Amino acid sequence: MRIQIAAILLACAAALPARALTDAEAQAMLKVQDDRQNSVGDYQALAFIERKEKDKNDQVYEAVVYRRDVTEKLVILFLRPKEEAGKGYLRVDKNMFFYDPTVGKWERRTERDKIGGTDSRRQDFDRSRLAQDFVAKWVGEEKLGKLVADHLQLEAKPDADVAFPVMHLWIEKGTNNLLKRQEYALSGRLMRTQFFPKWMKVMSPVKKAEVWVPKEQRIFDEVEKGNQTTIVIRSVDLSQLDDSYFTKAWLESKSR
Amino acid sequence: MGIYVKVALRNLIQARRRSLLLSLALALVTTLLVFLMALSQGLTDNMIKTATTLTAGHLNVNGWHKPSPGLSAPLLNDAAEMRKVIEEVTPDLDFVIDRYHGWGKLISDTGSTVSSLSGIDPAQESFFLDRVQLAPESAYKEGGSDEVKGDRARIGQPGTIMLFAGQAKRLGVGVGDNVTITTETLRGAANSIELTVSAIASDMGMMSNWYTFVPKQSLSEIYQLKEDTTGSLMVYLKDIGQADATRVALAEALASRGYTVMDHESEPFFMKFEKLAGESWTGQRYDVTTWEDEGAFLKWTIAGFNGVSVFLVAVLMLIIVVGIMNTMWMSVRDRTSEVGTLRAIGMKKRRVLLLFVTEALLLGLFATVVGSLLGGALASALDAARIPIPWDAAKVIMLSDTLHLAVRGDQLVRAVLLFTVVTGVAALWPAARAARMRPVNAIQHVG
Repeated sequence: MRIQIAAILLACAAALPARALTDAEAQAMLKVQDDRQNSVGDYQALAFIERKEKDKNDQVYEAVVYRRDVTEKLVILFLRPKEEAGKGYLRVDKNMFFYDPTVGKWERRTERDKIGGTDSRRQDFDRSRLAQDFVAKWVGEEKLGKLVADHLQLEAKPDADVAFPVMHLWIEKGTNNLLKRQEYALSGRLMRTQFFPKWMKVMSPVKKAEVWVPKEQRIFDEVEKGNQTTIVIRSVDLSQLDDSYFTKAWLESKSR
Repeated sequence: MGIYVKVALRNLIQARRRSLLLSLALALVTTLLVFLMALSQGLTDNMIKTATTLTAGHLNVNGWHKPSPGLSAPLLNDAAEMRKVIEEVTPDLDFVIDRYHGWGKLISDTGSTVSSLSGIDPAQESFFLDRVQLAPESAYKEGGSDEVKGDRARIGQPGTIMLFAGQAKRLGVGVGDNVTITTETLRGAANSIELTVSAIASDMGMMSNWYTFVPKQSLSEIYQLKEDTTGSLMVYLKDIGQADATRVALAEALASRGYTVMDHESEPFFMKFEKLAGESWTGQRYDVTTWEDEGAFLKWTIAGFNGVSVFLVAVLMLIIVVGIMNTMWMSVRDRTSEVGTLRAIGMKKRRVLLLFVTEALLLGLFATVVGSLLGGALASALDAARIPIPWDAAKVIMLSDTLHLAVRGDQLVRAVLLFTVVTGVAALWPAARAARMRPVNAIQHVG
């Protein structure tokens, strides 16, 4: 009898609408996302970027990513295909530069630039800065396939330099894994939808805790339907990197 | 002098076959030169027309705004005040218009392309609207009719976009279809706008691949600009020939009124982004340019074409010079005893030389006048026929969909003078040899 009553109570609880999260709780969820993804120390990973464009051949790039989150430094060096090898991005003090060894020139780029002409952007390789750049509101509890997720709407803070001023996030209940992200233009048009089907944990010796890394990201262009980019992250290493990695000279030397 | 002309004419008529053949060769090369000059002038005309229609006024005051050292945008604040200053200090002024500049991706259901976006106010743009020709549907749609669709009166109206035929073809759109523009605001935030194609214009060479015209309000909305902000003020003069001198005067006048004017560089504004982004200043600066600066990259096409033309004409000239020298040598040989007799009865060496040179000059003058007229007539006829250029690559180089040749009187005169002088100079050596002959030897010469 007791079991039956407990089962009825559980069923009733499941049928009840989820408790709405306050703005502070929603913002705290962003903070959790940032904290679990940030390594504190340095970061090194191999990235495979596959670009599919309508009426064009698929392209696959291999790149190595170096990050020093404390000083906000970032390097993305392309290794493959052969014609892209040696090209790279370097961010120093909020300035983003692109190096092309075929012309031996550095070009200044914006932080919001697409990487290598794909639908991926700097933010897809960089540390998470959601709580710093956005204000969150809880929209509701939704199901993504079999998974239950909190749906948050994010609006950029007035002083934030972000590519998309409005975002929607779906964060899995229980695991706190980010499952889906949708990014909107100022006009309110949906520009990109991004799925995070796989996450992995890496032990950080500096943080002395595990860091969550999106193992795979699938990015769908919502304006040019049919264009799609997949980023796969491998070989993540959170040990300390040499200072020289985050210099123009180092990036130039890789193509000599 | 008259006697020399008479003798020279008589000699030319006597050796009429040789004279005719040489005249024919000279006339053909002159025709070719005139034709190439007409083509080059046509290219220049196209360049002026394309540049001053699509991208620039005769003079341009471009604004550059840098909110931070790493960011540069082609924005001119206080447009109304600047317009007043330009109107005050520019002599020979015809009219001034202002346009926004932007850069974005145009996306349709079936394709995409990137383009420079020009924000126009149709009330100011009668000059532009007069010059733009709407394209028949067949120019951008497979199996389309020859009917011109779209409405010129709707160009620049709110919510519309005007494309060129090549762009419409790439995007797979026609009049009435929707196009999405995506771009970034000055602060780098993504933005988009939906516009309806109101008109599709005939291509104007390679530049029309990169220019798209939208209402000013649309660009203002997408870039989130303030009301009195624009991209550049385009100044049209009564005489385009005064553009360079007026540029210098205008830049000085602006500087003297406290505006920070950038150093002059002959480059289009869109090639200055990178350099400016690397400079450390912030705020507003002004760049005064001419139409030639804004279309500087087009000059490479004309310079390349002129280079090939000069090479071709030079090779043909060399052949002609050898021909003239050879003919004169033959003439001297045929008339050696005659030269000896003339020298024996007292004709001076200088006069013998003059006799042969006059002969060459007369031949050259006759042939080049005929060749110039022929080349001029041919070029004018081809231009009047408005022959469509069938190859895309050629359209890009010629900056037009139809063959355009422009014949100018001064070019005809220059061609005649050049070839006549070259003919005379080519005859100098054989003539000098004839003049130096000893009369006693020359008389005894059996030809």
